[in-house]
Amino acid sequence: MKFIAVTACPTGIAHTYMAAAQLEKAAKRLGHSIKVETQGSMGIENELSENDIREASAAIFAVEIPVRNKDRFDGITIIEVSVQDAIKNPDAIFTKFVQS
Amino acid sequence: MNKYLSDTKKYLLSGVSYAIPFVACGGILIAFAIAFAPMTPSGPDFSHAPFLKLILDIGTAAFSFLVPVLAGYIAFGIADRPGLVAGFVGGYIANVVGAGFLGGIVAGLLAGVVVFWIKKIRVPIYLKPVMPILIIPVLSSLIVGYVMFEVIGSPIKDIMTSLTAWLKAMNTGSSVILGLILGCMIAFDMGGPVNKVAFFFGAAMIKEGNFGVMGACAAAICIPPIGLGLATLFAKTLWTQEEHEAGYAALAMGMIGITEGAIPFAAADPIRVIPTIMVGSAIGSVIAMIGGVGDHAPHGGPIVLPVVDNRLVYVAAIITGSLVVALTINALKKFGVRKQA
Repeated sequence: MKFIAVTACPTGIAHTYMAAAQLEKAAKRLGHSIKVETQGSMGIENELSENDIREASAAIFAVEIPVRNKDRFDGITIIEVSVQDAIKNPDAIFTKFVQS
Repeated sequence: MNKYLSDTKKYLLSGVSYAIPFVACGGILIAFAIAFAPMTPSGPDFSHAPFLKLILDIGTAAFSFLVPVLAGYIAFGIADRPGLVAGFVGGYIANVVGAGFLGGIVAGLLAGVVVFWIKKIRVPIYLKPVMPILIIPVLSSLIVGYVMFEVIGSPIKDIMTSLTAWLKAMNTGSSVILGLILGCMIAFDMGGPVNKVAFFFGAAMIKEGNFGVMGACAAAICIPPIGLGLATLFAKTLWTQEEHEAGYAALAMGMIGITEGAIPFAAADPIRVIPTIMVGSAIGSVIAMIGGVGDHAPHGGPIVLPVVDNRLVYVAAIITGSLVVALTINALKKFGVRKQA
């Protein structure tokens, strides 16, 4: 399945990127494809395009602060988790969604 | 209700995340300028150092954005772009009326909520384009500005004033308690809202001519990252590869007074890490408090050493607190590992 994700933590220097890396690893492990946009202290990086968003089955928000430009995701299934969840147990986020 | 609380936390953190670079930039420039200016009994003397004065002014300019940016982006978190104006205006007024950091948080939340509700009002189609650029900013700024100037501003200012008075009259017993509280607050959320309340309190007291509060904060600020960084060096096998990398980063951030360096550790294992660093920071700040450490710059860590009074005690406070953190967390980790096996 195709996923997209946004990660963001308050300081935006460590966790944002740790969560992104963990989600990418987990997706690969489980045979999904994923593109992760990071909203860290450098601003938005690896920005999701309209195409990315349209083609995705669901968007994962692993955030501790509000997602920027949230209206881009109107009409798509959103899985909201904490940054902690994404770092510690990323696999569960995918399997839970696939099961439901 | 739970959702409501976790959302509020998200909004506060949104403000903090934008304010951090302003604080770091302002704090470091101010510390640098003060460090190289000749020190006199009435504070640093800039009369013969125009270039340092310039750096000080630039730093002060950056630092003065702390409260407006904080308030502005709390409102931004709640109400998106239309919230920015009322948030910034409210935060600026909080500075003007002397309500400081606490006032800024209130202003930001208020601005966000006000704009959020104004956005809900249905307007005729021809009014839509002027809502976000004219009507919302004007209306929300009026409301927030009125409340800040006329309702909330002065009570919060009174709290700040009575705090200052209490500090001046403080005896040794209460200074130990204050040190304990400040240390715990600084370490508790590592650069988050609680930390910034203690920090801003210290910074505000500098303006009032009391450097001891900031001295205690300055020691407490760097102890969590330095202590945890040391812990990864002391016991290599207890920590993962990623944690070792984070350890070096934490040491570097600790040296320049950025408590956030401890966050990766606390996030991975909050139950053990947060109490440990609170104890370490509390010990450090009590030592600094008793030893009469004063910090003339609104920043912490070893980097402000040149602007600190009673430097030896300051260094001793940092080393003691950091060692307590490093040894305690390694002992706790070892115990935990054994228990699992």
